Amino acid sequence: MGVLARSLAWPLRRGAVEASTWVGVGVGLVLAFLTLYPTAMLFYGSLSDAPVGAVGRFTLAHYRQAYTDPATYRLLLNSFAFAAGAAGLSVVLGLTLAWITVRTNAPGRRLFELVALAPNVLPPLLVATSWTLVLSPRIGILNVTLLRWLGLPPLNVYSLGGMVFVEGLVLTPLAFLVVAAALRSMDPSLEEAARMSGSGNLDAARRVTVPLVVPAVLAAATLNFVRAVESFDVPAVVALPAGIEVFSTKIFREALAAFPPNHNLAATYATSQLLIAVGFVVLYRRITGLQERYATITGRGYRPNVVDLGPWRYAASAVALGVLTLLVVVPFLVLVYVSLLPFYEVPSGEVLGRLTTRHYAFLLQSDRVARALRTSLGLALAGATAAMLLSSLVAYFAVRRRSRASAVLETLSFVPWAFPGTALAIGLLWAYVRLPLPIYGTVWILLIAYVTRFLPYGLRPMTATMVQVHRELEESSRVCGAGFVRTFRQVLLPLLRPGFLAGWAILFTIYIREFSTSVFLYTPRAEPVGPLLYHLWQDAQPGRMAALGVVVSAVCVVVVALARRWVGEGAR
Amino acid sequence: MSVVRVFKEFFRLGSSECLGRKPGRTKGGCTVKRLWRVLQACGVVVALAAAASAQADVVAAAKREGRVVVYGSLEADAFDVVRKVYEQRYGVPVEYWRAASTRVLDRALAEHRSGRGLFDVVLTNSGPMKILKAQGVFQRYVAPTYEDFPAATRDRDGVLSPAYRMVVISVLYNTRLVRPEEAPKTYADLLDPKWRGKIVMPDPTLHTTTATWLVNLRRVLGAQWRPFVERLAQQVGLVESFLPVVDKLVAGEYALGVTYVKYVKQFSEAPLDYVRLNPVLADAHLVGLARNAPHPNAGRLLINTLTSRAGLHALAQTGEFVLVPGIYPPIRDADKLRVVMMEDLDEREFQRARDELGPVFRRR
Repeated sequence: MGVLARSLAWPLRRGAVEASTWVGVGVGLVLAFLTLYPTAMLFYGSLSDAPVGAVGRFTLAHYRQAYTDPATYRLLLNSFAFAAGAAGLSVVLGLTLAWITVRTNAPGRRLFELVALAPNVLPPLLVATSWTLVLSPRIGILNVTLLRWLGLPPLNVYSLGGMVFVEGLVLTPLAFLVVAAALRSMDPSLEEAARMSGSGNLDAARRVTVPLVVPAVLAAATLNFVRAVESFDVPAVVALPAGIEVFSTKIFREALAAFPPNHNLAATYATSQLLIAVGFVVLYRRITGLQERYATITGRGYRPNVVDLGPWRYAASAVALGVLTLLVVVPFLVLVYVSLLPFYEVPSGEVLGRLTTRHYAFLLQSDRVARALRTSLGLALAGATAAMLLSSLVAYFAVRRRSRASAVLETLSFVPWAFPGTALAIGLLWAYVRLPLPIYGTVWILLIAYVTRFLPYGLRPMTATMVQVHRELEESSRVCGAGFVRTFRQVLLPLLRPGFLAGWAILFTIYIREFSTSVFLYTPRAEPVGPLLYHLWQDAQPGRMAALGVVVSAVCVVVVALARRWVGEGAR
Repeated sequence: MSVVRVFKEFFRLGSSECLGRKPGRTKGGCTVKRLWRVLQACGVVVALAAAASAQADVVAAAKREGRVVVYGSLEADAFDVVRKVYEQRYGVPVEYWRAASTRVLDRALAEHRSGRGLFDVVLTNSGPMKILKAQGVFQRYVAPTYEDFPAATRDRDGVLSPAYRMVVISVLYNTRLVRPEEAPKTYADLLDPKWRGKIVMPDPTLHTTTATWLVNLRRVLGAQWRPFVERLAQQVGLVESFLPVVDKLVAGEYALGVTYVKYVKQFSEAPLDYVRLNPVLADAHLVGLARNAPHPNAGRLLINTLTSRAGLHALAQTGEFVLVPGIYPPIRDADKLRVVMMEDLDEREFQRARDELGPVFRRR
């Protein structure tokens, strides 16, 4: 067999090159359709004088309206301060947590790692609500207990600082996942070389580990910056009552919540946001231009070694525990507390007598809840798998075939990132409402929206991992006669597994409670969990919302744990 | 437009002459009530005749259609009682999408313009309903139950339902934070410095019903309106809509809140009571059948059920103010309130209200 394969190797190679070209073109077309079509429709919307679903005439009036408003410039500044603060906080926390859990011998690190994924499953809407109950000046649990006893002035979550704090916490799990994936697949021989050349542990970390992690940290910071700029969940809960204007609240207020709603003006603001994000992608690509430098996974074994912290390992555990308390323990306990009360009140002795499980009983009895859970589980499984397969292909062509075309591919896949979820939804609405396919008004438009909008989440860990896989492995497979598809499936995908699963886990946990896109596109027949949570909140049913949040988080933790276990078994 | 005005006159008449007394104690002493009874009798005759011939066909057709899709702003739990009546009666499942009225308007319009028939029935505040009607979203449908409503309140074009219920706006307070005797009694009491920062209301630049409420207060407060609005703006914190107001009130983040009176009943375990403002302002609610309804017969039956006496009675039990004389929600003093129906704002008037109120309320 081996002889036969080798004798066929040369003629087959030619065909293999062609196959990869075709696959590349196919991926490009799919991406272009997914991203450019709604983008074009959004541009069209910003320049048209007719509402969604109608044909209009060209006009620049919406741009005039947006940019003659002096408030637009103030909110730009607010948005930048908010996004930079939140992204910075998330990267600091994510990196700390990732380093402790992946590279040190701090006790309990496996548990920390699992727990660090948990906040990803807590819908930001719920995290923000929880923190307002902890830090609200008048009823915040922390304010009326600890700070009052200590005689300190109350902390106020309804401020720019409060927004940065809550959004930073919401974004930390993503930073953690991206950085941890990079740390995990790092070649330890480089650090060993540094140590053998006389560097101490810290010195080796500074000179070798830090530069190797920089692309992942930049990736995480870029992602989180843009995500904070476009996020609406935290601003909706914190910024609206605080009277602080950021981009997403402005879009919501001036365009979407106006009466009658003005999707054209929404599209205009969204176009501006898109340009900001495109600017960031260009900057990002320039900074990380020489990526070949970071090719650290080679054909040799590459399990990263663990740093022995000695007695400091307990301090490291304490730091990790502290971060996790903010990320998971506090919001989750508040959720559980709210889910067990008939209505919210500040904790006291009397409250214990009123505890009830009726909100959970509601979940069990409600067809609506059961249907939403089924819908979201299906979407999360199918969406995460589809998005990650597409991401692997895009990452391959973007990293391996560095050419003008591959740069276009990567930029294309970053496009949907820049849209506020609500505005992308309007782009998709505009795009699919007229398409003569049974997509709009079905569950398929949600799948398309999910794959499109969150492709960057899958793509970042994939490219970060792909960059580190040395070309030689793939070349040897090709030399041995494997075609492109086979090489991709049997050599690359297994090597990319840490990135693939990191991305899959992120996407699964995002999809299962996705809100800001779904809420515009779903039909009552297939209502996902995200809009349901929002509607429970809108209906002033925080108890039911919290109970559903607790259940969804539990489902996610189980699914993610199973996925990780499956990886663990595969690696052995 | 004149239809609405006549109805409003009727209602004001009703509120001063009939609503002031307890139901049952009045022995036909009120003209409106007598008129109502006559209408009702006529309605029953007409309805029976119509029902005999057409009902069987419609029910069979509705069953073949298999389901009915409803978009509306009525709270999900309140709608559930209508859903139960409907599903028990016809065995056709109901899919209900609930959102704020602005969202309902937005979605129904977008889907209508794209020519897709995805929903059968829309039910929300009269302002958005009239905009939807003007855009041709609805088809003609006059339910047999409409006969039971005063002729003046019926849509002359036979498209929209009569106002079958109303939402009454007042000030609610958290009884753990405010004792009844301390609570404000009048609109002017809201301006007391002790409430500064302790009142929550929806942002009138986001929430259409709140904008309508503020504009309509002009009729109540007269020359005092402008200073009232400006000083109120200094007192309040803003949220998105009426239910988040309740959320903040129940949690104790605020002591007073501008919202619907019905929430006193719908959150009956929470420490809430309401201020008996005189008068209270209210907004009418209407229902209509979509032009491109995919399940038109099931939709017709749903409108019949919702506007039937049984449907409205069930709704009233959830705290809704239904527009059937003599039926009140189980809320204390609900029958004693002097209710004034608000004038609808059209799109231009909303824009003007936003431009006028925005700078006052969003000065920070």
